[in-house]
Amino acid sequence: MQLWNHCENPYPFVPAEVLDQAPSVRASLPNRYCDPKIAARLYDEVFDEYRLCDDIGLHIVTNEHHSGINNLWAASPVITGVVARLTRNVRILSLGTLITVRPDPVRVAEEYATIDVMSKGRLEIGFVKSGATEMVSGDANPMRIREREWEAIDLIEKALVTRDGPFSWEGKFFTHSHVNIWPRPYQEPRPEFWAATSDLPTCAELGRRNIINTLLFGGYDRTRQAFNAYKEARAAAALSPPGEDRFSSMAFAYVGDSDEEALRIGQKIAWFLTVSIKSAAQFAKFQPGAVAPEMAPAAWRAGVSRRPRPTNLDAEVLIGQGQMFAGNPDTVARQIKDFRRRVGGIEHIIMMTRQGLVTHAEAEKSFTLAARDVLPQLQDLPPIDTEETAWEARRAAAAAAQ
Amino acid sequence: MSQRLQVGPLALEVMRRGPNGAQHRPILLVHGSNPVSPKAAFVDLLAEHGEVIAPSHPGFGDSPLPEDFDSMYDLVHLYLEVLDALPDKAVMIGLSFGGWIAAEVAASGSAKLDRLVLVDPVGIKLGGREERDIVHFFNTSPAELDRRAWHDPAARPAGVYGLGWQAGIDDEMSDAELVRLARNWDALCLYGWRPHMYNPQLRHWLRRIAVPTLVLWGAADQIVTPEYGRAYSGLIPGARFQLIEAAGHHPELEQPRAVIDQVAQFLGPTPLGPTP
Repeated sequence: MQLWNHCENPYPFVPAEVLDQAPSVRASLPNRYCDPKIAARLYDEVFDEYRLCDDIGLHIVTNEHHSGINNLWAASPVITGVVARLTRNVRILSLGTLITVRPDPVRVAEEYATIDVMSKGRLEIGFVKSGATEMVSGDANPMRIREREWEAIDLIEKALVTRDGPFSWEGKFFTHSHVNIWPRPYQEPRPEFWAATSDLPTCAELGRRNIINTLLFGGYDRTRQAFNAYKEARAAAALSPPGEDRFSSMAFAYVGDSDEEALRIGQKIAWFLTVSIKSAAQFAKFQPGAVAPEMAPAAWRAGVSRRPRPTNLDAEVLIGQGQMFAGNPDTVARQIKDFRRRVGGIEHIIMMTRQGLVTHAEAEKSFTLAARDVLPQLQDLPPIDTEETAWEARRAAAAAAQ
Repeated sequence: MSQRLQVGPLALEVMRRGPNGAQHRPILLVHGSNPVSPKAAFVDLLAEHGEVIAPSHPGFGDSPLPEDFDSMYDLVHLYLEVLDALPDKAVMIGLSFGGWIAAEVAASGSAKLDRLVLVDPVGIKLGGREERDIVHFFNTSPAELDRRAWHDPAARPAGVYGLGWQAGIDDEMSDAELVRLARNWDALCLYGWRPHMYNPQLRHWLRRIAVPTLVLWGAADQIVTPEYGRAYSGLIPGARFQLIEAAGHHPELEQPRAVIDQVAQFLGPTPLGPTP
């Protein structure tokens, strides 16, 4: 298995009373609450953490979000380009550029090709559909974004693999009459593609395209369901069964000297869920396209406005759901191995560690322990007995239903 | 299954009200954020002046939404086709977003169009680049939309929906009604997100509107202000502008009698006879 470090570079230094009063901590919180001197220190710290990861063998994930306290990576290609020059050894995954918000996928392809060359072939390219507050931050129509995302992916792929351009593209969402990116990617024919989704039809399409499927905090059940959709789609299309290297999961993670220490610090990571996703109703349940119309009655009746925002998500609850790995190195290795078994096999674990008020020192300690004492325990694992794990999943589902 | 209006390959949901036949002038009602509710009081009042024909735009209500149908261009051609198929010259009344459609159709020109009524239409850009003429429908809280769209939100009639409809959701509403509202909201966004609820070119083509036009505006409209309305009206040759007191963005829902009185005066004696 492989371990990846994903940091969103959050900005948790806005006064609590401001966050409590703001209807949304993304999209509409004025940037006067972001002190650039603090932001500069945060960039330094996280880039130093990435350098450490490069030395000890943890791969690196970047992403982007806009206009909010949750994320200071405003443009994934910019950040990934910096990481490409700061590191020498590990893989770098951009997960990803918000391609449904960017007006021109060709520029995205060219930026990625540039990073692939600068990193001498260490880039992996991830796609996310986006939505919610990002639609207003990017002034992007939230309707038909799934179709827009696929067309953007198709255009980016063609731009990356074409060697005898220019070519012309006149699609439904994007037109570009002269596509001919320089440089071409370092890797042939292109860097590996990833996509983050738990949407089952999208997982199936990823399967048919052999794109790595990652779940974000999917826990045991949704992750297994998503991976099954991927596997079944390949089987239905008479394609070869996917290896575990096609599957990935992002989870909160903290590795400490002791379980107690890890739980105490891991609790701070839950800030991501308790504070950083607060967003107003127009960006969430009432955003057009947020749910299919036939799902609207259930979503609106049981929607966020009637349910208090989670404010005390317990680390142990998150661990129990397969959304967090936390403990001493042996505990975390055991949790990850158990997760691998319960989701039917997985190669990539993306650890979100530097989150909320977790400090630079705390993050570096966890990375060091993860690389030194957890990663070796995840090598050369025996194959998954899929029949046994399927039976376990059915039993767990039945227990949950009671 | 609701009534249908066949337009090319599309079978649109349609509400018809009032007398029909060759002796009655058709009144084509072009809806705004939500299809015209059969419960809305103004519909029966309007039907005293002709046959009301109120289709639901593709994607709204129970009308289908083809995959390749997503722009104002599509809606304009659709309604030109609807007009073509009517037996007589028609009055077209456009409400809010539907006012934009109606203004576009009238600027395009149709031999079947006799008169035009616009009620708090959106659709044009008047202010500077840092001035917002039209409140953003999807980037504004439902409570704020409700406050801005109605003269008196507390007196909003039951069972009819305008902007800020989310405030009216309660446990009594059926799943079917909620699904319709969700379809309406999605479709409105598909057509109008960007540029938000206007066509940058329409402003300089309004001069082509060649039929008598009445522009009605809720005096308390804070979605698009009466000042915007006066300027809009001023760009249409010969148009008459009239404020409706004690009404916001949906005067036909808040002051149905006052709106229909204005429309009746504009149309002349009722019921309208056949056009020459």
